[in-house]
Amino acid sequence: MSDRMLTMAEAVREAMSIAFDERPEVFLLGEDVGIYGGAFGVSADMYHRYGAERVLDTPIAELGIVGAAVGAALAGMRPIVEIQFSDFTAQAMDQIANQAAKIHFMLGGALHVPMVLRTPQGSGTGAAAQHSQNLEPWFASVPGLKVVVPSNPADAKGLLLSAIDDPNPVIFLEHKLLYKIPGRDSVPVGSGRIPLGVAKVVREGKDLTIVATGIMVNKSWEVCEKLAAEGISITLIDPRTISPLDMQPVYESVEKTGRLLVVQEGPSHAGFINEVIAQMAGSSSFGSLIAPIKRLAGMNIPIPYAPQLEKAAVPQIEDIEIAARDIVKNWR
Amino acid sequence: MSFKYPVVMPKMSMTMETGELIGYHVKAGDSVKTGDVLFEVMTDKIDMEVEAPADGVIESLVAEPGAVIDIGKPVLIMLTETQIMAFDFSGDEAPVVAQPVALAVVEAPVPAPAVVLNNDVKAVPKARVEAAKRGIDLRTIQPTGPDRTIMMADINSAQADPAVRKRQAANKALIAKGIAMGREIPQSSFSRSVSTNFDHARLISSWARILRSRPDLSIRPQVGVAVIIESKYGSALPVFKDPDLMSLADLTSLISSTSSAAVNGKVPLEMLSGATTTIFDLTSYSMNAATPLLFPNQITSVTVGYESATTRNISLTIDLRYCDFYDGAQLLDALAASL
Repeated sequence: MSDRMLTMAEAVREAMSIAFDERPEVFLLGEDVGIYGGAFGVSADMYHRYGAERVLDTPIAELGIVGAAVGAALAGMRPIVEIQFSDFTAQAMDQIANQAAKIHFMLGGALHVPMVLRTPQGSGTGAAAQHSQNLEPWFASVPGLKVVVPSNPADAKGLLLSAIDDPNPVIFLEHKLLYKIPGRDSVPVGSGRIPLGVAKVVREGKDLTIVATGIMVNKSWEVCEKLAAEGISITLIDPRTISPLDMQPVYESVEKTGRLLVVQEGPSHAGFINEVIAQMAGSSSFGSLIAPIKRLAGMNIPIPYAPQLEKAAVPQIEDIEIAARDIVKNWR
Repeated sequence: MSFKYPVVMPKMSMTMETGELIGYHVKAGDSVKTGDVLFEVMTDKIDMEVEAPADGVIESLVAEPGAVIDIGKPVLIMLTETQIMAFDFSGDEAPVVAQPVALAVVEAPVPAPAVVLNNDVKAVPKARVEAAKRGIDLRTIQPTGPDRTIMMADINSAQADPAVRKRQAANKALIAKGIAMGREIPQSSFSRSVSTNFDHARLISSWARILRSRPDLSIRPQVGVAVIIESKYGSALPVFKDPDLMSLADLTSLISSTSSAAVNGKVPLEMLSGATTTIFDLTSYSMNAATPLLFPNQITSVTVGYESATTRNISLTIDLRYCDFYDGAQLLDALAASL
């Protein structure tokens, strides 16, 4: 069997299935993950393949779901929690931030919380302000949580397997719009892992470095292709894990290009991508910059319901294209 | 070091030869800041306030209020620490720097041109690193980046071949001269959005064809379209003569060969004059729009800006002395329709 093109939903399901087959202590719990197959169909037939004991439909009670998972993890299980929309993690935040993230440290390393919390995030589905947020910085600012933001099916599979292996909590943020889209690259068969905390240089160029997360990697890729035709060559870096953050490839690239554009979907104010800018500004690579660092991020507003406004609230391909071209043309 | 600088009767229209001094807003001994109103003048067309070109002190008032003064003749003399570029309105020679000696009564000896230090330095990080490495004083570098920031290109051109720098400076001065003259013309700008499916050849040819149908909007029988091209020596302005009479294929290849020649500062001599209009395409800079400026002896000017991936913004500026608002709107409409 050779590598295939999968959607992110299929790749995540495949990773969960491999983990289920490898370790009996792995199980999935969440609202409608069983018979219904999950709000976005990610766990599809897993209930039928693994049974009701390993694919648990829960009540609508996020705090209870994550609390149960933390308890199970402390008792030696490896729970995968699915929260239907990342917005609903607000209900479970005490278990996530105050319990899961801290237990290992407060008990001097005596116990682990090997829990993965998977949840769909992001706008673009017309689901309005309470079902469309990008909450990356909520999790990335809590020490003790690792935060993964996959941008494509192959990475999602390898990173989720590593997240399940990890002895402490990992938040796995999947973009809704990527669930149904096949990636550009095929997904390897087998149980290969992609380590957490290692950024990926998606493509290399000499004029500009773009650092983007999640769906913005895909949008930036389109811009790289388009501007390549105009003679502008761009390095695109996907951190993949936003906590911990691997800045080394960013430094190395900016030392070559001298120009940095960062792109995230979440609101600009105190957003995750600002961390990339802060670390760059404080690094020895700062002196390589030949242009001010440019940031593209969502507007500081709740995601609007009207489709045109929803689109306008987060960076689109065209915004990235204009910003990238401007930096390269205006700063020489 | 103080320079004596004569503030002269400005040329405010193509036909103006003299102006009447209405009155002064300053008296001898007054300190003035750049932009302060010095005096008012009147012509057959407009009244205008003349502003201080630099910070300084008024040394003396030369002309009497009510006097009719030839353009270019001094109205008052000011003392300034700044060297000021003056324009020669009488001919096409390169601009001259105001020479303190011209007024004879300067402190001797005649000063060497002062280097104006830019103490308020903004520079990209790499420029600071490179300046330190190459022993360059950033205060001596002319910033050309956004918000008057020193870019790497400025550091590199500061160390470029002196011949190149001289040509760059001459080029800038020439364009500044033209624009300075054009600014006094009563003008109006219009803009609208068009879809992107046109190239330079199409744009130049279409615009030339429209202007050919309006011989009243040109001071020459031919149509000459000047196109602003970025070159090693600054902006180049090759003129495409009667481009609407050429085939699009021929025009495309002429544009391409001229552009590559212009980039290296080698515009053929015969393409350096005869412009009746100017086109400035900012699309590749993602600029939305810019107000096109009128060059001397041109009644129209067009700028193309980036609006979106599928649309461009076209702006037209007209000289209202020859062309009214309806003309302007119709011209722009015709251009948009032909694209």
